[in-house]
Amino acid sequence: MSGTLAQRVARVAGARRRRLVWRGVETALLLATLLIILFPILWMALTAFKRPVDLFDLTVFFTPTLDNFRTIFAHPWNIGATLLNSTIVALATVVIAIPASTLAAYAFSRFEMRGKGLLFFAILATQFIPAVVVVLPFYLLFRDLGLLDTHVALIIVNLAIVTPFAVWMLKGFLDAVPIESEEAALVDGATRLRVIIDIVVPVIWPGVLVTTVFCFILTWNEFLFALILTRDDAVTLPVGITRFRTERGDLWELIAAAGILISIPMFLLASVIQRHFVGGMTGGAVK
Amino acid sequence: MSSISLQRVTKAWGGFTAVRDLTLDIRQGEFMVLLGPSGCGKTTTMRMIAGLEEPTSGDVLIGGVRVNDLAPRERDIAMVFQSYGLYPHMSVADNIGYPLKLRGLGREERAARVRQAAARVELEPLLARRPRELSGGQRQRVALARAIVRQPTVFLMDEPLSNLDAKLRVSTRAEIKHLQHELGVTTVYVTHDQIEAMTLAHRVAVMAGGEIRQLDAPEAIYDRPADLFVAGFIGSPSMNLVPGEHANGVFTAAGGLRAITRVARHAGPALLGIRPEDVRVLPAGQGDLDASIYAVELTGDAVLVTAMLGPARVIARADRAWRAEIGATVALRFDATRMHLFDAASTKRLQPE
Repeated sequence: MSGTLAQRVARVAGARRRRLVWRGVETALLLATLLIILFPILWMALTAFKRPVDLFDLTVFFTPTLDNFRTIFAHPWNIGATLLNSTIVALATVVIAIPASTLAAYAFSRFEMRGKGLLFFAILATQFIPAVVVVLPFYLLFRDLGLLDTHVALIIVNLAIVTPFAVWMLKGFLDAVPIESEEAALVDGATRLRVIIDIVVPVIWPGVLVTTVFCFILTWNEFLFALILTRDDAVTLPVGITRFRTERGDLWELIAAAGILISIPMFLLASVIQRHFVGGMTGGAVK
Repeated sequence: MSSISLQRVTKAWGGFTAVRDLTLDIRQGEFMVLLGPSGCGKTTTMRMIAGLEEPTSGDVLIGGVRVNDLAPRERDIAMVFQSYGLYPHMSVADNIGYPLKLRGLGREERAARVRQAAARVELEPLLARRPRELSGGQRQRVALARAIVRQPTVFLMDEPLSNLDAKLRVSTRAEIKHLQHELGVTTVYVTHDQIEAMTLAHRVAVMAGGEIRQLDAPEAIYDRPADLFVAGFIGSPSMNLVPGEHANGVFTAAGGLRAITRVARHAGPALLGIRPEDVRVLPAGQGDLDASIYAVELTGDAVLVTAMLGPARVIARADRAWRAEIGATVALRFDATRMHLFDAASTKRLQPE
């Protein structure tokens, strides 16, 4: 800093003006991004409540109807079955993946072991393999096992997808937790498992919740494997939507209604994450 | 109340040896302080007693029983951690009661004993709070209450006062001493703070480089430090150590220092040690030797006078009313009964005959 006091004051005022301009540019960019992201969702929501005749009408004023939802749940579409399949697969995947991943992440975070770095990298590396590369082997595998078009096959595949991700994510949360509370519990008389249940999980609960939600979303939205590995009985919602591309053309109003169905859990879960992800739980544990 | 015995214990990680062939016997009901600078192995030693670290070799005995293969929970110990290690999601009462809950005590009895322990450390009004709603001193007391609630046979305390402010540290120190006296539980206390060691311990083990340099009562460690490390580590300001030559029971150093040492059987390079409070500052010409003043510092309860003795500096503790200018010449008188002689090569104290 140089110059007289008056020059310095002028310089500060100039900097403030520039900051204000930037703030304006930022806001404009944010709004533009928001529009690009939200407009398709808005359009889907509108389409879902339109009658087929209003479909290609660009107006936002129309008589809304629930017919589309009635149609997709009725014969021949029976979207309810795919909704149930998706729910079963996603819940089962999460129920297995989260406890298993928590224990694995704990081991990676806390224990010394030979080849830990390599092992952890190997787990991550499974995520680098493009799904299309392994979808055919998976198909042959499940065909030979007689598991094609079953929930079990989809759950296994989804576990393979989300578990490495969950381990990696949970390890991040665990690494941030000071170890002293755990050691205190060990000395106080707890077994290792008791420490994890009584001390670790409550402390990283927001992290567990977020990981659960992400894994649920990943499974819920999974398309490629579900497309290849199912045909009639275990078809999931995202695959079910493809059935609305018929020889009569694309039934947009039904696609949009099913899209709403897919999106509702996402919106609910996103709001759950938002509520629980505020503020750490670890305050006051140490220091 | 159990005795603790470490027998030729070593702890190494890869190429680094934290604790080297350490043997230490802690008596039943004793307050033992492990004192040393950071990285000296004192915390590792304590963690091996707790079972949080496994010794690379050697045995750990509690109450005469080898506990090497026992998990921490099977050793009947309680530990207070440097950062307290509280359970952030539990109330103060649940924190204190957790060890009892793990032992399957009923709700009623648990509540009664939690109240009792909380009363001992004056936490009763705070039982419903969460740790994050407490001050540092209060958290520290929760950790203490959790340690005393189930009456273990051994207390382990890892720098429990280091996160408290100076005033709180003094009062909590007294509380810990009182508590240990009252309960009579064998206690191992790790600190790098010599005042804590001096005030709390029945015996102090001064550690450096993974080894015990001296094991003795606090006053013995202060009065007869075993080597240069202990001499320099204990005392504030630390002991003056003047390098010089020793022969025929006489120590000589630059600046005209000459002292009779009562150590006959030693000749060669040596260091003369004397604590600041054992050096008197007198008007020039009236002491053992004259020196010029390098600095004068008023600490409140005393005046610290640094004088140049050849290339060496000597600090003397003078009365708090004492005044002099920097550069002035004064005389120093060393208390001959409180001088220590150390061999320069071995760094060991040379015992007067």
